[in-house]
Amino acid sequence: MSVRVDSSTFSGDVVRRTLLDNGLTVLTRELHTSPIVTAMIWYRVGSRNEELGQTGKSHFLEHMLFKGTDRFKKGAIDLLTLKNGGNNNAFTSHDFTAYYFNFASDRWEIALDIESDRMVNCVFAPEEFEAEKKVVIEELRMGLDSPWGLLLQELDAAAYKVHPYRNPVIGWLHDVERATSAEQQDYYRRHYHPGNATLVLTGDFETDRILDKVSEKFSAIPKRPDPPGVTVIEPSQRGEKRLQVQWRSKVPRLGLAYHAPEVAHPDSYALQVLNLVLTEGKTSRLYQRLVEREQSVTFATAEYAESKDPTLFHIRAEARGAHTAEEIEASIYEELQRIVADGATTQELDRAKHLVQAHFILSRERAVDQAMLLGQVETLYGLPYIDTYLEKINSVSSEDLSTVCSSYLTAANRTVGYLIPDGSAAGEDAEEDADEDA
Amino acid sequence: MKTPEAEIWRTFDVHSQTLANGLQVLLVENPAIPAIAINATVLTGARYEPEDKAGLAIMASNLLDEGTTTRSSFDIAAAIEATGGHLETDASFERIVAAATILKQDVDLGLELVADLLINPVFPDDYVAKEKSRTLAEIASAKDRPQVVAGWALNELIYGSHPLHRPAQGYPETIERITRDDLLQFHAQFFAPNNAILSIVGDFKIDEILSRIERQYGGWNPRPVSLSAIPKPLRQRERREKFIPMAAQQSNIYLGHLGIERRNPDFYALQVLDTILGGGAGFTARIPQRLRDELGLAYTTFASITMTAGIDPGRFVAYIGTSPENTKLAIEGLLNEIRRIVDEPVAPEELQDAKDFLTGSFVFAFESSAQIARFLIQARIYDLGFDYGEKYPGLIKTITADDIARVAGIYLDTENYTLTVSGPMEER
Repeated sequence: MSVRVDSSTFSGDVVRRTLLDNGLTVLTRELHTSPIVTAMIWYRVGSRNEELGQTGKSHFLEHMLFKGTDRFKKGAIDLLTLKNGGNNNAFTSHDFTAYYFNFASDRWEIALDIESDRMVNCVFAPEEFEAEKKVVIEELRMGLDSPWGLLLQELDAAAYKVHPYRNPVIGWLHDVERATSAEQQDYYRRHYHPGNATLVLTGDFETDRILDKVSEKFSAIPKRPDPPGVTVIEPSQRGEKRLQVQWRSKVPRLGLAYHAPEVAHPDSYALQVLNLVLTEGKTSRLYQRLVEREQSVTFATAEYAESKDPTLFHIRAEARGAHTAEEIEASIYEELQRIVADGATTQELDRAKHLVQAHFILSRERAVDQAMLLGQVETLYGLPYIDTYLEKINSVSSEDLSTVCSSYLTAANRTVGYLIPDGSAAGEDAEEDADEDA
Repeated sequence: MKTPEAEIWRTFDVHSQTLANGLQVLLVENPAIPAIAINATVLTGARYEPEDKAGLAIMASNLLDEGTTTRSSFDIAAAIEATGGHLETDASFERIVAAATILKQDVDLGLELVADLLINPVFPDDYVAKEKSRTLAEIASAKDRPQVVAGWALNELIYGSHPLHRPAQGYPETIERITRDDLLQFHAQFFAPNNAILSIVGDFKIDEILSRIERQYGGWNPRPVSLSAIPKPLRQRERREKFIPMAAQQSNIYLGHLGIERRNPDFYALQVLDTILGGGAGFTARIPQRLRDELGLAYTTFASITMTAGIDPGRFVAYIGTSPENTKLAIEGLLNEIRRIVDEPVAPEELQDAKDFLTGSFVFAFESSAQIARFLIQARIYDLGFDYGEKYPGLIKTITADDIARVAGIYLDTENYTLTVSGPMEER
């Protein structure tokens, strides 16, 4: 059934990687601690693959994969999940789209039936497409009612000049409104096929038996050509960009976005450690400075997500009391300057490294967490990443932090966004006060 | 596709004992991964705080790790963070929890820190001031979220003078009033071994961990704790409404009324009802199927009465977030589905599917050591029995369509309910 089998010795445990003749990659990892099986399928398609004017297509497609095939009519996937006491969900990012089922370990076969069928047989009934469009638009609106949803959307759109990471995964409202079923179907045919997917199975099963079933369900799906790659390269930023986003709130919020490298880039490990040193836990630099000493924020956090193409290192904070975004911004820069000048202490580095190790161990507890980790790694880079990951994190030095901080977290490489009041908040408060007085 | 007959269940042996000072200890060996989950629950919470000091319980909980008699806030954070473990405190209306997840080799540190937080917090003056200002800022930030605003308004109208009418974090004016003495007094009043449960699950041997527990918790002095009886909230006998204008993309709509206590024997029939009406897997329940899948009114819509059941009656709640122009249609849609389950018997297949879902998915509540540790506390507080896992399928399987009709008639009210809406109002 398969042309190649190899394995990863991730954290001392064997993950088996099997490649079917039609190009489907299958990762299996037995976990017998709970009578549960997770089946998760990852497609190498996300908002980075979308054409201008058609943003949000990958995410919309994710919704349509629940809307029926000839075999599993609309509603049947959820109904089968219900009848079998399982749960299912799906998620889309810039780089991938993934679907999963969790079932008790005596009924996982149904997940393979559904995934093998909807990989190629989704029907896209026009009336279903139009009905679901309304749901997607409600989801988009819901996101815009979150202050961070709005600020990060605008920040990323300003930070990138050309790369599709500038577009929100859910898409721009007008693109979603004018999307057509025909475009959607064409996109599906190009991106949903065995060679563009990884099936991850984790939990309480026997590997040989489950692989036989995988072969039985998936082998007949024909191989198809790989979709065209994404060739856009983001040009370097040539100076600081600043933007203000108007919103109803009076609470100032601040977001910084620095261009940073992609997953497995030699500098990415130091940036991950830097992220932890800056904002993870109460001993972190920005917590100590902004929450403890200056008491200027309700929280400050940094995010550096693993991604296929060069990405952004985000820092964001929410002001409290009479403190301003300007003063918080200045304090953050001082803390970054301290890293550039002095690096981090041994305790800080050890703490960050222990945190990563503990996270790895804890991620082995639940089948779904394990599938999430394996699927993401395989989709973004390939399993070998995981085998050297801890070693590379462990070798990060204080000088490395200083170096990445001075090369990436610079003024010329950043976009700064403030959420500022649009004037509507005053009226809203007056209304609430009136209610309380009544 | 045939549904399997047998229930899948993960059995585990619970070691239960009470220390001489009254601390209840619950232990389960779970060597799945080399880690340990510790959950220490004190049987107090926001329901016991005075109305004019609303927010006291959560503030006490947040300050437990900001300094003890022997450790500063930084010392506590540095100790746990050096191991890669997590330590957190949390409060609800009926519990205050200090919980840690640690690697196996750090078990002594985990036990010691959790004990120190519960037994020796000092609520330092400067941290009390910081926590007050942080809470005020958090309340201001939460007011930016239309769903939160509508949810707070719902509780105010449903619970009247019962403590659950309040946001658990209190109001700006009550936060301002809280002093360090209030916090010390709250701690002295409720934090006692005889008013706490310690639940530990993970990679250890029971006989080895017992002496470690005795060492850390044995010296905690018992004292009489009186938990005041709180008058039960009354069900509303009229319709209550509140519309809160906000410049938002969506209308956030809550429709509900008083729910049930966790000990109510109809809890299980109502779990089945919840699954049919507003929960379950994906969008199979009636409300998401009709309002999301058929009418395209929302991304998020659900209903439940059992989700918030506790010592106090929870709330029956139906929620939808929709475009402002659909507000009326959405409210009608929610009401229609509630009426339908009250007025018409549920179909046999619908009932069977809901029961199969509940019994089949029960196993997901016990995947991690932290989940099992929380279950043990829950089982002890509500007398569920540690064999709850074995009993549960039986409790669900016996539910009939008549049971659903009966509990719908008793516990759901399509006339006397509370409706709160936040969002742009000019569209209405």
